[in-house]
Amino acid sequence: MRDGSDIIREAKARGETTLSEHDSKRLLSKYGVPVTREVLTGSRAEAVAAAQSLGFPVAVKGCSAAIAHKTERGLVELDLTDAQAVGSAFDRMRARVPGIGVLVQEMVVGRRELILGLVRDPQFGPCVSLGIGGIFTEAVADVVFRVAPFALAEAVAMMDDLKNSALLGPFRGLPAVDRGVLAEALVALGRIGAEHEDIREIDVNPLVVCGSRPIAVDALIVLDRPISSVVS
Amino acid sequence: MLDALFHPRSVAVVGASKGVSATGSVKLGTAALQHLIEHRFPGRIYPINPKENELFGLRAFAGIGEVPEPVDLAFLVVPAEACVEAMAECAAKGVKSAVVFSSGFSETGNEQLQQRLLAAARAGGIRFCGPNTAGFVNVTENMVGSISMVCAINPFRRGPIAFVTQSGALGGSMLGRAMEQGIGFSHWVSTGNEADIDAAEYIDYLVEQDDVKVIALFLEGVRNGPAFIAAARKAVRADKPIVVYKTGVSDVGAAAAASHTGAMAGSDRIFEGVCRQFGLVRVDDVADLFSTALTFAWLGDKLPLGRRMGIVSASGGICGVAADECQRAGLEVPELDAAAKEEIRRYVPPFASVRNPIDVTGQIRSSATGYQDTVRAVLRQHYIDGVILLITMAGEPRASFYGREISALAREAKKPIIVAWTGALSLATNGYPMLQQHAVPNFLTVREAVQAMRALADYRRFRSRAAAELET
Repeated sequence: MRDGSDIIREAKARGETTLSEHDSKRLLSKYGVPVTREVLTGSRAEAVAAAQSLGFPVAVKGCSAAIAHKTERGLVELDLTDAQAVGSAFDRMRARVPGIGVLVQEMVVGRRELILGLVRDPQFGPCVSLGIGGIFTEAVADVVFRVAPFALAEAVAMMDDLKNSALLGPFRGLPAVDRGVLAEALVALGRIGAEHEDIREIDVNPLVVCGSRPIAVDALIVLDRPISSVVS
Repeated sequence: MLDALFHPRSVAVVGASKGVSATGSVKLGTAALQHLIEHRFPGRIYPINPKENELFGLRAFAGIGEVPEPVDLAFLVVPAEACVEAMAECAAKGVKSAVVFSSGFSETGNEQLQQRLLAAARAGGIRFCGPNTAGFVNVTENMVGSISMVCAINPFRRGPIAFVTQSGALGGSMLGRAMEQGIGFSHWVSTGNEADIDAAEYIDYLVEQDDVKVIALFLEGVRNGPAFIAAARKAVRADKPIVVYKTGVSDVGAAAAASHTGAMAGSDRIFEGVCRQFGLVRVDDVADLFSTALTFAWLGDKLPLGRRMGIVSASGGICGVAADECQRAGLEVPELDAAAKEEIRRYVPPFASVRNPIDVTGQIRSSATGYQDTVRAVLRQHYIDGVILLITMAGEPRASFYGREISALAREAKKPIIVAWTGALSLATNGYPMLQQHAVPNFLTVREAVQAMRALADYRRFRSRAAAELET
């Protein structure tokens, strides 16, 4: 077990049914999934300091287990280029949701986006998905599944099974996606599913391909309901 | 483990009678008994009916407990409520297996009755098929345990396919039509409600049988994922492909999912992943199930090493169709190299096209050997993995020439040959059937022929990947 159990335990103790973006990524990163460099901050000064240490530009996001749709709530500001902008973004988020944690993270830019995930099928158990992400996700509906756990070769076969697998190769002047890193991430998701029975679903959306390197820019881990809320 | 079911030495039929239904047809229990007799079951048969001393010339017994000898298999064809008691009597008698044809269990919401039936069977160590099943057939052993009207086809056509279906009525109709088309079977099982034995366990058993070369599966849902995967792995190890058609492509339950991934999952996408991961050959059209299965049975030892096809026909038009279908199916049609073209030009009329697809033109019939020499030359190319032959309008005696020569070519070839015969069959009465007789996969459309070749290539790719993983 690579652990991460403490992250889940603490979230459950707080009565949460999902992990926040930051906690989700902390758990993913314990299994070797590449995630954005980021700092969870609780004050304007901390936010600015974090931005300066990460290097501009940065993204600033409200971070709460209770809020899954951050963009709709005005809790995502991208491409902030100086301390002033970061400070004001921090203030705006605190004004919208008092006391909310504020995540300051590196801006990862890439023209290709993927979605990785984990679901539990009633018959086949934990299943890992790989799909084409971005604004056309639903229209393209290009996603493939494998039953977890599985080996690296199977993860590579998943990439080949995508209808738009050409997007992963050298494409329009973009380098080929690092298949090794992507395969490791898919295998890792399967391992998480096998090792943490109390994780019901995972969404890594988007996994941005920056140059050739895939990085999880946002993530959501859905837990089974905490025991207290199941009581009728 | 299911030998007592598939290879019984004795069968008791609980619920056979002389009565007829309101429409004048025999009752289901009687049908099951008649089918058993008419298909010449070689073991002992015991009709069970408290009101009769004799049925169809066989001594009838008032209860299964009164049968003087051991009973391996019992058919239960009594009303659902009476099945639990009948199963308990079978258990007391020491019966080893059963087929419960009766309906009125979980399929109508009566899950509790089904659980009681299961408990009665388990208490006596009885394994059973059903309930709510059309039964099963072991063609090789003349063991027909079925109420399906398809049993009027007598004898069944023997062959290499074991057919497992979760729909009894559709399964029976598919079986009948396939046998009419010359496709033969080793076994047929309608799994019914799968209270005890499920589709995965039938597959697990059938894979071990020598007369089974390939398993055709009509699936509505998987009851036990891990057991299904284990059976699929076993089939791959035994080199007996599973060809599957599955209903239910709609994304049931997706709306309730909390994450994006959950919403995109749906049972069909996950099942597609299972097929690719564990090497099941999935067909999109139920009509392709048996023809694909038969192709695997016949060409299982000549799987194409790659996806590069040679295409030969006497019609330029159909060459174009085939090239398009290959592209859609992800098969390549590489241009022949200069040496091959030069060789083939010696066999064909001067206006023929020798790039690949190779259009030998209708004039080819002026040569006794030009067609065969061309096909052989294409097969010899190291960059060709399989050959698709297209016959358009060919009447006798030309049709017989094709039937004979293609059969000979297919027999000697180390690479797969698949034929699409698109012209009038009524004018090819001798030639076309030769292909079936000589185990040459043949289709009536180009699309089917190309899809069959694609399925072979996909399966071969899966196998080589699986082998590579085993080595590492």
